[in-house]
Amino acid sequence: MRLVIDHRRCRKTGQCSYLHPELFKAGEYGSPIVLVEHPGEELREAAEEAVELCPSGAISLVEDEGSSREEGS
Amino acid sequence: MPTLMETMSTLTPAQLRSELASFITDPYLTYRQLRDQTPMNHVVLPGGIVPGIDEPLLGWALMKYDDVYGALRDHDTFSSARNPLVEKGLFPQLVLIMDDPPRHTRFRRLVNKVFTPKRIAALAPWIASVANELLDEMGTGEVDVVQSYTIPLPVKVIARLLGIPGEDYVTFKHWSDTFISSLISISVEERMQNTQEMVAYFGGMAAARRAHAAEDLITALVEAEIEGESLQDWELLGFCILLLIAGNETTTNLMSNLLNILVDRPELWRQLREDRSLVEPVIEETLRYESPVQQLNRMTTREVEVSGVRIPQGELVTVFFGAANRDPNEFPNPDEFRLDRDLRNHVAFGMGIHYCLGAPLARAEAEITLNAFLDRFPVITRGHAPALRQTASPIVFGFQQLPLVLGVGGQ
Repeated sequence: MRLVIDHRRCRKTGQCSYLHPELFKAGEYGSPIVLVEHPGEELREAAEEAVELCPSGAISLVEDEGSSREEGS
Repeated sequence: MPTLMETMSTLTPAQLRSELASFITDPYLTYRQLRDQTPMNHVVLPGGIVPGIDEPLLGWALMKYDDVYGALRDHDTFSSARNPLVEKGLFPQLVLIMDDPPRHTRFRRLVNKVFTPKRIAALAPWIASVANELLDEMGTGEVDVVQSYTIPLPVKVIARLLGIPGEDYVTFKHWSDTFISSLISISVEERMQNTQEMVAYFGGMAAARRAHAAEDLITALVEAEIEGESLQDWELLGFCILLLIAGNETTTNLMSNLLNILVDRPELWRQLREDRSLVEPVIEETLRYESPVQQLNRMTTREVEVSGVRIPQGELVTVFFGAANRDPNEFPNPDEFRLDRDLRNHVAFGMGIHYCLGAPLARAEAEITLNAFLDRFPVITRGHAPALRQTASPIVFGFQQLPLVLGVGGQ
């Protein structure tokens, strides 16, 4: 699974890097940067929580190969 | 023309109240005049209003978008925990909003999951049923939507989440109004008594949940353990009070501002009825254009430079969300309500670690409300009675009365 930020949706609130510093950090202009693109089993729960808590709905976990499960809106 | 902030310290209390009321009614004029000069000193509280505070309490006003965003993201420098008004006992210390990491992080983790977009989406049908009950009671014709709708809906919703009786909403509203009233508007005694009433009420509720658990947030808080320890009494009560206040003042104002904006835009109302994909952008632009929360305070933990101005350590800083959201450098033609702008960047819910916990709930309530009004009323127009802005608190921007004529036929 791959951790992805949709920067067109991101509101740059900083919640992801605050609550899950093991997965994200804040970039120079407030935009988040994914630190662990492929979270392993030990980070799976944290990654799922980050997806759930993002106030912008901008974070998703997508299948590594081929078919993307990202929202197509 | 001298501004409110420059003249505040020379005015009598009666003049102050009147000046403050006109600032609260339209803060945007002041923001336009002062934004370019900020960071600048302003009077947070004039001397002599509150016993024990004889000298004016000064702070730094931040009104530029970049300054506001930067301060909100830099919580190490701009602390939420050290508030001189709390230290003087004028406000109870609330959790989260008046706290810093690491405790803030632990508390945020504790309640975050109650307010996720997914959890809120699951509540949507119930919120819609409350909305429709209120609309059924309102009927058609001229109605003050503040008393009949925008006050009761959010209070009933947050009451249910907390697990307190929704019928007590008039009392809850009074508590919240008093809590956020400026120190100029009400006496210290009234404020203290208000706090005591809330503490007694929620203390009783917490005791009841300790005896008999229920499916609600108060039970969750009573049973919650952070690193093996139960919440202390002040933490638990601070949580309840915060959620009650934050859960209704802000959303009431968002929905009132929304309806007030739309009543003057019949063409947009017509478009909305036909194309509900416009509901979300209309709500986001409302949040920017007339932000329900206008300002909050921080305290500097170190010397810091903001827009080339040196702010010393240990100073109050007032972050004006409402001003940042009208900064022409971030939002071209900021005083126009338009849907063709980048609607993600407003700071109406704050930014950074204190980003509004209840944002998904506020957005859901506004969306459900707008859809329910659109479903029922082909036309809305202003009533004969005047619309009145609230004038008690500069922290929020909204209405105490908003009479609308809700039309079912093609008028």
